[in-house]
Amino acid sequence: MAGLSDLELRRELQALGFQPGPITDTTRDVYRNKLRRLRGEARLRDEERLREEARPRGEERLREEARLREDAPLRARPAAASPRAEPWLSQPASGLAYATPGAYGDIRPSAASWVGSRGLAYPARPAQLRRRASVRGSSEEDEDARTPDRATQGPGLAARRWWAASPAPARLPSSLLGPDPRPGLRATRAGPAGAARARPEVGRRLERWLSRLLLWASLGLLLVFLGILWVKMGKPSAPQEAEDNMKLLPVDCERKTDEFCQAKQKAALLELLHELYNFLAIQAGNFECGNPENLKSKCIPVMEAQEYIANVTSSSSAKFEAALTWILSSNKDVGIWLKGEDQSELVTTVDKVVCLESAHPRMGVGCRLSRALLTAVTNVLIFFWCLAFLWGLLILLKYRWRKLEEEEQAMYEMVKKIIDVVQDHYVDWEQDMERYPYVGILHVRDSLIPPQSRRRMKRVWDRAVEFLASNESRIQTESHRVAGEDMLVWRWTKPSSFSDSER
Amino acid sequence: MTTSQKHRDFVAEPMGEKPVGSLVGIGEVLGKKLEERGFDNAYVVLGQFLVLKKDEDLFREWLKDTCGANAKQSRDCFGCLREWCDAFL
Repeated sequence: MAGLSDLELRRELQALGFQPGPITDTTRDVYRNKLRRLRGEARLRDEERLREEARPRGEERLREEARLREDAPLRARPAAASPRAEPWLSQPASGLAYATPGAYGDIRPSAASWVGSRGLAYPARPAQLRRRASVRGSSEEDEDARTPDRATQGPGLAARRWWAASPAPARLPSSLLGPDPRPGLRATRAGPAGAARARPEVGRRLERWLSRLLLWASLGLLLVFLGILWVKMGKPSAPQEAEDNMKLLPVDCERKTDEFCQAKQKAALLELLHELYNFLAIQAGNFECGNPENLKSKCIPVMEAQEYIANVTSSSSAKFEAALTWILSSNKDVGIWLKGEDQSELVTTVDKVVCLESAHPRMGVGCRLSRALLTAVTNVLIFFWCLAFLWGLLILLKYRWRKLEEEEQAMYEMVKKIIDVVQDHYVDWEQDMERYPYVGILHVRDSLIPPQSRRRMKRVWDRAVEFLASNESRIQTESHRVAGEDMLVWRWTKPSSFSDSER
Repeated sequence: MTTSQKHRDFVAEPMGEKPVGSLVGIGEVLGKKLEERGFDNAYVVLGQFLVLKKDEDLFREWLKDTCGANAKQSRDCFGCLREWCDAFL
Protein backbone atom coordinates (compact mmCIF):
# COMPACT_ATOMS: atom_id res chain seq x y z
CA MET A 1 0.00 0.00 0.00
CA ALA A 2 2.74 2.45 0.84
CA GLY A 3 4.44 1.87 -2.46
CA LEU A 4 1.57 3.18 -4.53
CA SER A 5 2.08 6.39 -6.39
CA ASP A 6 -0.69 8.95 -6.49
CA LEU A 7 -1.80 7.87 -9.90
CA GLU A 8 -1.86 4.22 -8.97
CA LEU A 9 -3.76 5.03 -5.81
CA ARG A 10 -6.29 6.91 -7.84
CA ARG A 11 -6.66 4.06 -10.26
CA GLU A 12 -7.06 1.49 -7.56
CA LEU A 13 -9.77 3.56 -5.92
CA GLN A 14 -11.56 4.06 -9.19
CA ALA A 15 -11.35 0.36 -9.91
CA LEU A 16 -13.23 -0.24 -6.70
CA GLY A 17 -15.89 2.24 -7.74
CA PHE A 18 -14.89 5.25 -5.66
CA GLN A 19 -14.14 8.64 -7.19
CA PRO A 20 -11.39 10.32 -5.19
CA GLY A 21 -10.69 14.00 -5.17
CA PRO A 22 -7.20 15.42 -5.59
CA ILE A 23 -4.52 13.41 -3.91
CA THR A 24 -2.35 15.93 -2.13
CA ASP A 25 -0.03 15.73 0.80
CA THR A 26 -2.90 16.22 3.18
CA THR A 27 -5.27 13.80 1.54
CA ARG A 28 -2.93 10.98 0.67
CA ASP A 29 -3.18 9.14 3.95
CA VAL A 30 -6.92 9.46 4.00
CA TYR A 31 -7.22 7.92 0.57
CA ARG A 32 -4.82 5.16 1.43
CA ASN A 33 -6.97 4.19 4.36
CA LYS A 34 -9.99 4.38 2.15
CA LEU A 35 -8.40 2.01 -0.30
CA ARG A 36 -7.58 -0.39 2.48
CA ARG A 37 -11.14 -0.30 3.70
CA LEU A 38 -12.60 -0.76 0.25
CA ARG A 39 -10.39 -3.72 -0.40
CA GLY A 40 -11.39 -5.34 2.84
CA GLU A 41 -14.99 -4.65 2.06
CA ALA A 42 -14.67 -6.14 -1.37
CA ARG A 43 -13.07 -9.22 0.02
CA LEU A 44 -15.79 -9.62 2.58
CA ARG A 45 -18.39 -9.12 -0.02
CA ASP A 46 -16.92 -11.96 -2.00
CA GLU A 47 -17.18 -14.19 1.00
CA GLU A 48 -20.66 -12.97 1.71
CA ARG A 49 -21.72 -13.70 -1.79
CA LEU A 50 -20.46 -17.23 -1.54
CA ARG A 51 -22.32 -17.65 1.67
CA GLU A 52 -25.41 -16.08 0.20
CA GLU A 53 -25.56 -18.66 -2.47
CA ALA A 54 -25.61 -21.29 0.20
CA ARG A 55 -28.28 -19.53 2.21
CA PRO A 56 -30.74 -17.83 -0.10
CA ARG A 57 -33.18 -17.18 2.66
CA GLY A 58 -30.85 -14.88 4.51
CA GLU A 59 -31.56 -12.15 2.02
CA GLU A 60 -35.26 -12.26 2.74
CA ARG A 61 -34.62 -11.89 6.41
CA LEU A 62 -32.48 -8.84 5.84
CA ARG A 63 -35.13 -7.12 3.83
CA GLU A 64 -37.69 -7.66 6.53
CA GLU A 65 -35.46 -6.23 9.17
CA ALA A 66 -34.57 -3.31 6.97
CA ARG A 67 -38.12 -2.39 6.23
CA LEU A 68 -39.02 -2.35 9.85
CA ARG A 69 -36.26 0.05 10.61
CA GLU A 70 -37.26 2.62 8.04
CA ASP A 71 -38.64 5.10 10.45
CA ALA A 72 -35.62 5.11 12.75
CA PRO A 73 -33.76 8.35 12.30
CA LEU A 74 -30.45 7.19 11.10
CA ARG A 75 -27.56 9.49 10.65
CA ALA A 76 -25.65 8.18 7.81
CA ARG A 77 -22.16 7.10 7.97
CA PRO A 78 -22.63 5.10 4.89
CA ALA A 79 -19.35 4.15 3.39
CA ALA A 80 -17.33 3.94 6.55
CA ALA A 81 -20.01 2.19 8.50
CA SER A 82 -20.82 -0.27 5.80
CA PRO A 83 -17.59 -2.18 5.98
CA ARG A 84 -17.97 -2.27 9.68
CA ALA A 85 -21.56 -3.30 9.70
CA GLU A 86 -21.26 -5.71 6.82
CA PRO A 87 -18.84 -7.97 8.56
CA TRP A 88 -21.22 -7.95 11.44
CA LEU A 89 -23.90 -8.95 9.06
CA SER A 90 -22.11 -11.90 7.64
CA GLN A 91 -20.02 -12.79 10.59
CA PRO A 92 -21.66 -11.93 13.81
CA ALA A 93 -18.61 -13.17 15.54
CA SER A 94 -16.34 -10.41 14.41
CA GLY A 95 -18.97 -7.75 14.07
CA LEU A 96 -19.55 -5.27 16.73
CA ALA A 97 -16.11 -4.33 17.82
CA TYR A 98 -17.19 -0.75 18.03
CA ALA A 99 -19.38 -0.79 21.04
CA THR A 100 -17.78 1.06 23.88
CA PRO A 101 -18.09 0.75 27.58
CA GLY A 102 -19.43 4.25 27.59
CA ALA A 103 -22.17 3.25 25.27
CA TYR A 104 -22.78 0.09 27.09
CA GLY A 105 -25.70 1.57 28.85
CA ASP A 106 -27.08 2.92 25.61
CA ILE A 107 -26.87 -0.30 23.76
CA ARG A 108 -28.95 -2.35 26.09
CA PRO A 109 -32.08 -0.25 26.13
CA SER A 110 -31.78 0.45 22.46
CA ALA A 111 -31.24 -3.17 21.71
CA ALA A 112 -34.18 -4.07 23.86
CA SER A 113 -36.38 -1.50 22.17
CA TRP A 114 -35.10 -2.68 18.87
CA VAL A 115 -36.07 -6.20 19.56
CA GLY A 116 -39.39 -5.09 20.90
CA SER A 117 -40.22 -2.79 18.05
CA ARG A 118 -39.37 -5.33 15.46
CA GLY A 119 -41.36 -8.01 17.04
CA LEU A 120 -39.08 -10.56 15.59
CA ALA A 121 -37.45 -12.95 17.96
CA TYR A 122 -33.75 -12.76 17.51
CA PRO A 123 -32.68 -13.18 21.06
CA ALA A 124 -29.29 -14.38 19.98
CA ARG A 125 -28.34 -11.12 18.32
CA PRO A 126 -28.95 -8.66 21.14
CA ALA A 127 -27.34 -11.08 23.52
CA GLN A 128 -24.35 -11.11 21.27
CA LEU A 129 -24.44 -7.33 21.11
CA ARG A 130 -24.29 -7.08 24.85
CA ARG A 131 -21.60 -9.67 25.07
CA ARG A 132 -19.58 -7.92 22.44
CA ALA A 133 -20.07 -4.61 24.16
CA SER A 134 -18.69 -5.95 27.38
CA VAL A 135 -15.89 -7.94 25.86
CA ARG A 136 -14.52 -5.49 23.32
CA GLY A 137 -12.89 -2.39 24.72
CA SER A 138 -13.24 0.93 23.11
CA SER A 139 -11.53 0.80 19.81
CA GLU A 140 -12.91 4.19 19.06
CA GLU A 141 -13.64 6.51 21.91
CA ASP A 142 -15.73 8.85 19.89
CA GLU A 143 -18.69 6.66 19.18
CA ASP A 144 -20.95 7.86 21.96
CA ALA A 145 -24.13 8.99 20.38
CA ARG A 146 -23.40 6.97 17.34
CA THR A 147 -23.67 3.52 18.75
CA PRO A 148 -27.42 3.36 19.26
CA ASP A 149 -27.76 4.24 15.68
CA ARG A 150 -25.25 1.70 14.64
CA ALA A 151 -26.78 -0.94 16.81
CA THR A 152 -30.14 -0.33 15.27
CA GLN A 153 -28.77 -0.19 11.86
CA GLY A 154 -26.81 -3.30 12.68
CA PRO A 155 -27.46 -6.04 10.22
CA GLY A 156 -28.83 -5.48 6.82
CA LEU A 157 -27.20 -2.36 5.60
CA ALA A 158 -29.20 -3.22 2.58
CA ALA A 159 -31.77 -1.26 4.55
CA ARG A 160 -30.54 1.91 2.99
CA ARG A 161 -31.93 0.93 -0.30
CA TRP A 162 -35.36 1.30 1.13
CA TRP A 163 -34.90 4.65 2.78
CA ALA A 164 -37.86 6.66 1.74
CA ALA A 165 -36.79 9.85 3.43
CA SER A 166 -33.18 10.71 3.84
CA PRO A 167 -32.59 13.27 6.55
CA ALA A 168 -31.32 16.21 4.57
CA PRO A 169 -30.81 16.89 0.91
CA ALA A 170 -27.17 17.54 1.51
CA ARG A 171 -26.94 14.14 3.06
CA LEU A 172 -28.07 12.63 -0.11
CA PRO A 173 -24.76 12.63 -1.96
CA SER A 174 -22.91 11.15 0.96
CA SER A 175 -25.64 8.72 1.86
CA LEU A 176 -26.10 7.69 -1.68
CA LEU A 177 -22.44 6.90 -1.61
CA GLY A 178 -23.56 4.10 0.65
CA PRO A 179 -26.41 2.38 -1.12
CA ASP A 180 -25.81 3.23 -4.70
CA PRO A 181 -22.19 2.35 -5.03
CA ARG A 182 -22.89 -0.84 -3.25
CA PRO A 183 -24.86 -2.41 -6.00
CA GLY A 184 -22.56 -0.54 -8.28
CA LEU A 185 -19.63 -1.57 -6.18
CA ARG A 186 -20.59 -5.13 -6.53
CA ALA A 187 -20.90 -4.76 -10.25
CA THR A 188 -17.85 -2.63 -10.76
CA ARG A 189 -15.76 -4.68 -8.44
CA ALA A 190 -16.91 -7.79 -10.19
CA GLY A 191 -16.41 -5.97 -13.46
CA PRO A 192 -12.78 -4.98 -13.36
CA ALA A 193 -11.88 -7.98 -11.26
CA GLY A 194 -13.78 -10.10 -13.70
CA ALA A 195 -12.18 -8.40 -16.61
CA ALA A 196 -8.80 -8.78 -15.03
CA ARG A 197 -9.60 -12.40 -14.32
CA ALA A 198 -11.08 -13.03 -17.74
CA ARG A 199 -7.93 -12.19 -19.54
CA PRO A 200 -5.65 -14.61 -17.72
CA GLU A 201 -8.50 -17.12 -17.79
CA VAL A 202 -8.82 -16.89 -21.52
CA GLY A 203 -5.09 -17.15 -21.83
CA ARG A 204 -5.05 -20.14 -19.52
CA ARG A 205 -7.80 -21.88 -21.42
CA LEU A 206 -6.04 -21.27 -24.69
CA GLU A 207 -2.87 -22.66 -23.20
CA ARG A 208 -4.65 -25.74 -22.00
CA TRP A 209 -6.27 -26.40 -25.36
CA LEU A 210 -3.06 -25.81 -27.20
CA SER A 211 -1.13 -28.20 -25.00
CA ARG A 212 -3.81 -30.83 -25.35
CA LEU A 213 -3.81 -30.43 -29.09
CA LEU A 214 -0.06 -30.78 -29.22
CA LEU A 215 -0.22 -33.91 -27.10
CA TRP A 216 -2.74 -35.57 -29.38
CA ALA A 217 -0.85 -34.47 -32.46
CA SER A 218 2.37 -35.98 -31.19
CA LEU A 219 0.57 -39.21 -30.25
CA GLY A 220 -0.95 -39.30 -33.70
CA LEU A 221 2.42 -38.78 -35.26
CA LEU A 222 3.85 -41.63 -33.22
CA LEU A 223 1.07 -43.92 -34.39
CA VAL A 224 1.67 -42.91 -37.98
CA PHE A 225 5.34 -43.63 -37.53
CA LEU A 226 4.65 -47.07 -36.14
CA GLY A 227 2.22 -47.70 -38.95
CA ILE A 228 4.81 -46.87 -41.56
CA LEU A 229 7.22 -49.14 -39.75
CA TRP A 230 4.77 -52.00 -39.80
CA VAL A 231 3.94 -51.58 -43.46
CA LYS A 232 7.55 -51.47 -44.46
CA MET A 233 8.29 -54.57 -42.49
CA GLY A 234 6.03 -56.27 -44.91
CA LYS A 235 4.31 -59.56 -44.75
CA PRO A 236 6.22 -62.30 -46.39
CA SER A 237 3.90 -63.73 -48.97
CA ALA A 238 4.87 -66.94 -50.60
CA PRO A 239 2.90 -69.29 -52.69
CA GLN A 240 1.40 -71.60 -50.16
CA GLU A 241 -0.04 -73.95 -52.70
CA ALA A 242 3.22 -75.68 -53.31
CA GLU A 243 3.37 -76.75 -49.68
CA ASP A 244 -0.01 -78.40 -49.93
CA ASN A 245 0.71 -80.04 -53.19
CA MET A 246 3.77 -81.71 -51.87
CA LYS A 247 1.62 -83.96 -49.80
CA LEU A 248 0.53 -85.95 -52.85
CA LEU A 249 1.60 -89.56 -53.18
CA PRO A 250 4.94 -90.17 -54.83
CA VAL A 251 4.06 -91.74 -58.16
CA ASP A 252 6.23 -91.79 -61.11
CA CYS A 253 4.60 -89.56 -63.59
CA GLU A 254 7.33 -88.79 -66.06
CA ARG A 255 5.73 -89.91 -69.18
CA LYS A 256 2.08 -90.33 -68.34
CA THR A 257 -0.39 -87.59 -69.11
CA ASP A 258 -3.56 -88.52 -67.27
CA GLU A 259 -5.19 -86.12 -64.94
CA PHE A 260 -3.54 -87.33 -61.79
CA CYS A 261 -0.18 -87.15 -63.33
CA GLN A 262 -0.85 -83.76 -64.71
CA ALA A 263 -1.77 -82.64 -61.27
CA LYS A 264 1.39 -84.18 -59.88
CA GLN A 265 3.44 -82.52 -62.54
CA LYS A 266 1.84 -79.29 -61.74
CA ALA A 267 2.69 -79.95 -58.14
CA ALA A 268 6.28 -80.60 -58.98
CA LEU A 269 6.31 -77.48 -61.05
CA LEU A 270 4.98 -75.47 -58.27
CA GLU A 271 7.49 -76.97 -55.89
CA LEU A 272 10.21 -75.96 -58.23
CA LEU A 273 8.83 -72.54 -58.48
CA HIS A 274 8.62 -72.35 -54.77
CA GLU A 275 12.26 -73.25 -54.38
CA LEU A 276 13.18 -70.79 -57.07
CA TYR A 277 11.17 -68.12 -55.41
CA ASN A 278 12.81 -68.75 -52.08
CA PHE A 279 16.24 -68.78 -53.59
CA LEU A 280 15.69 -65.58 -55.44
CA ALA A 281 14.16 -63.95 -52.44
CA ILE A 282 17.03 -64.87 -50.20
CA GLN A 283 19.55 -63.68 -52.72
CA ALA A 284 17.75 -60.41 -53.18
CA GLY A 285 17.49 -60.03 -49.47
CA ASN A 286 21.17 -60.64 -49.03
CA PHE A 287 21.92 -58.15 -51.71
CA GLU A 288 19.79 -55.53 -50.01
CA CYS A 289 21.04 -56.19 -46.56
CA GLY A 290 24.73 -55.71 -46.70
CA ASN A 291 25.56 -58.04 -49.58
CA PRO A 292 27.85 -60.59 -47.90
CA GLU A 293 28.22 -62.61 -51.07
CA ASN A 294 29.16 -59.57 -53.13
CA LEU A 295 26.45 -60.04 -55.71
CA LYS A 296 26.47 -57.62 -58.58
CA SER A 297 22.74 -57.05 -58.57
CA LYS A 298 19.46 -58.41 -57.36
CA CYS A 299 18.98 -60.09 -60.67
CA ILE A 300 20.35 -63.65 -60.61
CA PRO A 301 21.59 -65.01 -63.95
CA VAL A 302 19.57 -67.89 -65.37
CA MET A 303 22.44 -70.34 -65.30
CA GLU A 304 23.06 -69.81 -61.63
CA ALA A 305 19.43 -70.20 -60.79
CA GLN A 306 19.17 -73.33 -62.86
CA GLU A 307 22.22 -74.79 -61.16
CA TYR A 308 20.87 -74.09 -57.76
CA ILE A 309 17.49 -75.56 -58.58
CA ALA A 310 19.10 -78.62 -60.07
CA ASN A 311 21.06 -79.08 -56.87
CA VAL A 312 18.09 -78.63 -54.64
CA THR A 313 15.24 -80.40 -56.40
CA SER A 314 17.07 -82.80 -58.64
CA SER A 315 14.97 -81.79 -61.56
CA SER A 316 16.08 -81.49 -65.13
CA SER A 317 16.58 -78.37 -67.13
CA ALA A 318 13.49 -79.18 -69.10
CA LYS A 319 11.43 -78.80 -66.02
CA PHE A 320 13.17 -75.53 -65.32
CA GLU A 321 12.32 -74.22 -68.73
CA ALA A 322 8.77 -75.44 -68.28
CA ALA A 323 8.62 -73.52 -65.09
CA LEU A 324 9.86 -70.39 -66.77
CA THR A 325 7.29 -70.81 -69.51
CA TRP A 326 4.63 -71.20 -66.92
CA ILE A 327 5.72 -67.99 -65.26
CA LEU A 328 5.67 -66.20 -68.55
CA SER A 329 2.25 -67.47 -69.47
CA SER A 330 0.67 -66.91 -66.09
CA ASN A 331 -0.76 -63.50 -65.61
CA LYS A 332 -0.76 -63.74 -61.86
CA ASP A 333 1.89 -62.06 -59.88
CA VAL A 334 4.23 -64.91 -59.02
CA GLY A 335 6.79 -62.75 -57.39
CA ILE A 336 9.53 -63.50 -59.84
CA TRP A 337 10.56 -61.11 -62.53
CA LEU A 338 12.13 -62.40 -65.67
CA LYS A 339 14.50 -59.89 -67.13
CA GLY A 340 16.01 -59.83 -70.57
CA GLU A 341 19.09 -58.03 -71.91
CA ASP A 342 17.28 -54.79 -71.95
CA GLN A 343 16.15 -54.28 -68.40
CA SER A 344 13.08 -52.29 -69.17
CA GLU A 345 11.66 -54.39 -71.96
CA LEU A 346 9.15 -57.13 -71.34
CA VAL A 347 10.31 -60.64 -72.03
CA THR A 348 8.07 -62.97 -74.00
CA THR A 349 10.10 -66.07 -74.68
CA VAL A 350 12.26 -68.23 -72.54
CA ASP A 351 15.33 -67.70 -74.72
CA LYS A 352 15.42 -64.02 -74.09
CA VAL A 353 15.51 -64.45 -70.33
CA VAL A 354 18.87 -63.44 -69.00
CA CYS A 355 18.30 -63.19 -65.28
CA LEU A 356 15.69 -63.62 -62.62
CA GLU A 357 14.79 -61.27 -59.89
CA SER A 358 12.61 -61.64 -56.88
CA ALA A 359 9.83 -59.17 -56.38
CA HIS A 360 9.71 -59.80 -52.64
CA PRO A 361 13.23 -59.90 -51.30
CA ARG A 362 13.40 -61.70 -48.01
CA MET A 363 15.38 -59.91 -45.42
CA GLY A 364 16.13 -60.59 -41.83
CA VAL A 365 14.12 -58.99 -39.09
CA GLY A 366 16.88 -56.69 -38.01
CA CYS A 367 17.47 -55.60 -41.56
CA ARG A 368 13.81 -54.99 -42.11
CA LEU A 369 13.49 -53.02 -38.95
CA SER A 370 16.43 -50.82 -39.72
CA ARG A 371 15.24 -50.15 -43.24
CA ALA A 372 11.75 -49.38 -42.04
CA LEU A 373 13.05 -47.08 -39.38
CA LEU A 374 15.17 -45.24 -41.88
CA THR A 375 12.28 -44.78 -44.28
CA ALA A 376 9.92 -43.63 -41.60
CA VAL A 377 12.39 -41.17 -40.16
CA THR A 378 13.25 -39.80 -43.56
CA ASN A 379 9.61 -39.28 -44.43
CA VAL A 380 8.86 -37.64 -41.14
CA LEU A 381 11.94 -35.49 -41.41
CA ILE A 382 11.06 -34.38 -44.91
CA PHE A 383 7.64 -33.39 -43.73
CA PHE A 384 9.16 -31.59 -40.79
CA TRP A 385 11.68 -29.74 -42.89
CA CYS A 386 8.98 -28.67 -45.31
CA LEU A 387 6.96 -27.34 -42.44
CA ALA A 388 9.94 -25.57 -40.94
CA PHE A 389 10.72 -23.99 -44.24
CA LEU A 390 7.18 -22.72 -44.70
CA TRP A 391 7.16 -21.43 -41.17
CA GLY A 392 10.38 -19.56 -41.74
CA LEU A 393 8.93 -18.06 -44.86
CA LEU A 394 5.89 -16.91 -42.97
CA ILE A 395 7.95 -15.30 -40.25
CA LEU A 396 10.06 -13.55 -42.80
CA LEU A 397 7.02 -12.19 -44.58
CA LYS A 398 5.47 -10.96 -41.38
CA TYR A 399 8.66 -9.25 -40.40
CA ARG A 400 8.84 -7.57 -43.72
CA TRP A 401 5.26 -6.35 -43.55
CA ARG A 402 5.80 -5.04 -40.09
CA LYS A 403 8.87 -3.17 -41.19
CA LEU A 404 7.01 -1.61 -44.08
CA GLU A 405 4.20 -0.60 -41.79
CA GLU A 406 6.61 0.99 -39.36
CA GLU A 407 8.32 2.90 -42.10
CA GLU A 408 5.06 4.22 -43.34
CA GLN A 409 4.12 5.35 -39.87
CA ALA A 410 7.45 7.05 -39.43
CA MET A 411 6.97 8.83 -42.70
CA TYR A 412 3.59 10.18 -41.70
CA GLU A 413 4.95 11.34 -38.39
CA MET A 414 7.67 13.20 -40.19
CA VAL A 415 5.17 14.77 -42.58
CA LYS A 416 3.13 16.01 -39.66
CA LYS A 417 6.14 17.55 -38.00
CA ILE A 418 7.20 19.23 -41.19
CA ILE A 419 3.79 20.73 -41.73
CA ASP A 420 3.83 22.11 -38.23
CA VAL A 421 7.26 23.60 -38.67
CA VAL A 422 6.44 25.23 -41.97
CA GLN A 423 3.20 26.62 -40.68
CA ASP A 424 4.83 28.00 -37.55
CA HIS A 425 7.52 29.57 -39.63
CA TYR A 426 4.90 31.27 -41.73
CA VAL A 427 3.06 32.51 -38.67
CA ASP A 428 6.32 33.89 -37.33
CA TRP A 429 6.94 35.63 -40.62
CA GLU A 430 3.53 37.22 -40.42
CA GLN A 431 4.49 38.54 -37.02
CA ASP A 432 7.71 39.88 -38.47
CA MET A 433 9.90 37.48 -36.62
CA GLU A 434 11.24 35.88 -39.77
CA ARG A 435 12.69 37.43 -42.88
CA TYR A 436 11.19 35.23 -45.54
CA PRO A 437 7.90 33.42 -45.77
CA TYR A 438 9.58 30.25 -46.93
CA VAL A 439 11.95 27.91 -45.19
CA GLY A 440 14.63 25.75 -46.69
CA ILE A 441 13.98 22.07 -46.86
CA LEU A 442 17.39 21.17 -45.56
CA HIS A 443 17.00 23.64 -42.73
CA VAL A 444 13.80 21.96 -41.73
CA ARG A 445 15.47 18.61 -41.88
CA ASP A 446 18.33 19.72 -39.75
CA SER A 447 16.03 21.21 -37.19
CA LEU A 448 13.83 18.14 -36.95
CA ILE A 449 16.40 15.36 -37.08
CA PRO A 450 19.41 15.40 -34.81
CA PRO A 451 22.73 14.88 -36.56
CA GLN A 452 23.31 11.35 -35.40
CA SER A 453 20.05 10.09 -36.84
CA ARG A 454 20.25 11.84 -40.17
CA ARG A 455 21.72 8.96 -42.05
CA ARG A 456 19.35 6.50 -40.47
CA MET A 457 16.30 8.62 -41.21
CA LYS A 458 17.36 9.46 -44.74
CA ARG A 459 14.84 7.11 -46.30
CA VAL A 460 12.00 8.36 -44.13
CA TRP A 461 12.92 11.93 -44.86
CA ASP A 462 13.04 11.42 -48.60
CA ARG A 463 9.70 9.72 -48.62
CA ALA A 464 8.24 12.51 -46.53
CA VAL A 465 9.57 15.14 -48.93
CA GLU A 466 8.11 13.23 -51.82
CA PHE A 467 4.80 12.93 -50.09
CA LEU A 468 4.66 16.64 -49.40
CA ALA A 469 5.52 17.51 -52.95
CA SER A 470 2.75 15.37 -54.32
CA ASN A 471 0.05 15.30 -51.68
CA GLU A 472 0.11 18.46 -49.64
CA SER A 473 -1.56 21.44 -51.22
CA ARG A 474 -0.84 23.92 -48.47
CA ILE A 475 2.91 23.67 -48.85
CA GLN A 476 4.60 24.78 -52.06
CA THR A 477 7.98 23.45 -53.03
CA GLU A 478 10.00 26.16 -54.70
CA SER A 479 13.52 27.10 -55.47
CA HIS A 480 14.83 30.28 -53.94
CA ARG A 481 18.02 31.93 -52.98
CA VAL A 482 18.24 31.62 -49.26
CA ALA A 483 21.21 32.93 -47.29
CA GLY A 484 23.25 33.21 -50.41
CA GLU A 485 22.65 29.83 -51.92
CA ASP A 486 20.00 28.38 -54.15
CA MET A 487 18.03 25.79 -52.41
CA LEU A 488 14.66 24.16 -52.43
CA VAL A 489 12.27 25.72 -50.00
CA TRP A 490 8.84 25.14 -48.65
CA ARG A 491 6.35 27.93 -48.54
CA TRP A 492 3.15 27.85 -46.63
CA THR A 493 0.39 29.01 -48.95
CA LYS A 494 -2.12 30.87 -46.86
CA PRO A 495 -5.46 29.17 -47.33
CA SER A 496 -8.74 30.10 -45.63
CA SER A 497 -9.21 29.91 -41.91
CA PHE A 498 -10.11 26.25 -41.59
CA SER A 499 -6.71 25.21 -42.77
CA ASP A 500 -5.65 22.97 -39.96
CA SER A 501 -6.44 19.34 -40.31
CA GLU A 502 -5.10 18.49 -36.88
CA ARG A 503 -6.07 21.23 -34.44
CA MET B 1 -30.91 18.30 16.16
CA THR B 2 -30.49 21.56 17.93
CA THR B 3 -27.60 23.60 16.75
CA SER B 4 -25.38 25.50 19.07
CA GLN B 5 -24.90 29.22 19.07
CA LYS B 6 -21.45 28.75 17.65
CA HIS B 7 -22.89 26.86 14.73
CA ARG B 8 -25.50 29.52 14.07
CA ASP B 9 -22.89 32.22 14.26
CA PHE B 10 -20.58 30.47 11.82
CA VAL B 11 -23.20 29.61 9.24
CA ALA B 12 -24.78 33.04 9.32
CA GLU B 13 -22.09 34.87 7.36
CA PRO B 14 -19.11 34.37 5.05
CA MET B 15 -16.19 33.14 7.06
CA GLY B 16 -13.68 35.61 5.73
CA GLU B 17 -10.54 35.48 7.86
CA LYS B 18 -12.11 33.83 10.88
CA PRO B 19 -9.66 31.73 12.86
CA VAL B 20 -9.87 28.00 12.88
CA GLY B 21 -11.19 28.09 16.43
CA SER B 22 -14.42 29.56 15.15
CA LEU B 23 -15.33 26.23 13.55
CA VAL B 24 -17.87 24.24 15.50
CA GLY B 25 -16.28 21.40 17.44
CA ILE B 26 -12.81 22.93 17.27
CA GLY B 27 -11.81 24.30 20.66
CA GLU B 28 -8.54 25.64 21.94
CA VAL B 29 -6.62 22.40 22.01
CA LEU B 30 -7.68 21.17 18.61
CA GLY B 31 -7.34 24.62 17.16
CA LYS B 32 -3.74 24.80 18.25
CA LYS B 33 -3.02 21.40 16.76
CA LEU B 34 -4.51 22.45 13.45
CA GLU B 35 -2.52 25.64 13.41
CA GLU B 36 0.63 23.67 13.96
CA ARG B 37 -0.16 21.72 10.82
CA GLY B 38 -0.65 24.88 8.87
CA PHE B 39 -4.39 25.12 9.00
CA ASP B 40 -4.47 28.49 10.66
CA ASN B 41 -7.66 29.90 9.22
CA ALA B 42 -11.06 28.45 8.86
CA TYR B 43 -10.88 28.79 5.11
CA VAL B 44 -7.88 26.47 4.95
CA VAL B 45 -9.90 23.78 6.65
CA LEU B 46 -12.67 24.63 4.20
CA GLY B 47 -10.13 24.05 1.47
CA GLN B 48 -9.38 20.60 2.79
CA PHE B 49 -13.08 19.89 3.09
CA LEU B 50 -13.57 20.81 -0.54
CA VAL B 51 -10.55 18.88 -1.71
CA LEU B 52 -12.00 15.81 -0.11
CA LYS B 53 -15.07 16.52 -2.18
CA LYS B 54 -17.22 17.18 0.85
CA ASP B 55 -17.19 13.48 1.74
CA GLU B 56 -18.16 13.06 5.34
CA ASP B 57 -16.20 9.96 6.15
CA LEU B 58 -13.02 11.15 4.56
CA PHE B 59 -13.19 14.59 6.12
CA ARG B 60 -13.93 13.27 9.55
CA GLU B 61 -11.16 10.73 9.29
CA TRP B 62 -8.77 13.41 8.17
CA LEU B 63 -9.80 15.64 11.06
CA LYS B 64 -9.31 12.84 13.50
CA ASP B 65 -5.88 12.01 12.09
CA THR B 66 -4.78 15.61 11.95
CA CYS B 67 -5.81 16.97 15.31
CA GLY B 68 -7.33 14.05 17.19
CA ALA B 69 -10.94 15.19 17.11
CA ASN B 70 -13.45 12.76 18.55
CA ALA B 71 -16.63 11.65 16.86
CA LYS B 72 -18.82 14.45 18.12
CA GLN B 73 -16.31 17.14 17.38
CA SER B 74 -15.67 15.94 13.86
CA ARG B 75 -19.35 15.54 13.24
CA ASP B 76 -20.08 19.04 14.37
CA CYS B 77 -17.27 20.48 12.31
CA PHE B 78 -18.39 18.63 9.24
CA GLY B 79 -21.94 19.75 9.76
CA CYS B 80 -21.12 23.40 10.08
CA LEU B 81 -18.84 23.38 7.05
CA ARG B 82 -21.43 21.64 5.00
CA GLU B 83 -24.11 24.09 5.91
CA TRP B 84 -21.82 26.98 5.25
CA CYS B 85 -21.14 25.60 1.79
CA ASP B 86 -24.83 25.14 1.12
CA ALA B 87 -25.40 28.73 2.00
CA PHE B 88 -22.46 30.48 0.45
CA LEU B 89 -20.63 28.30 -2.02
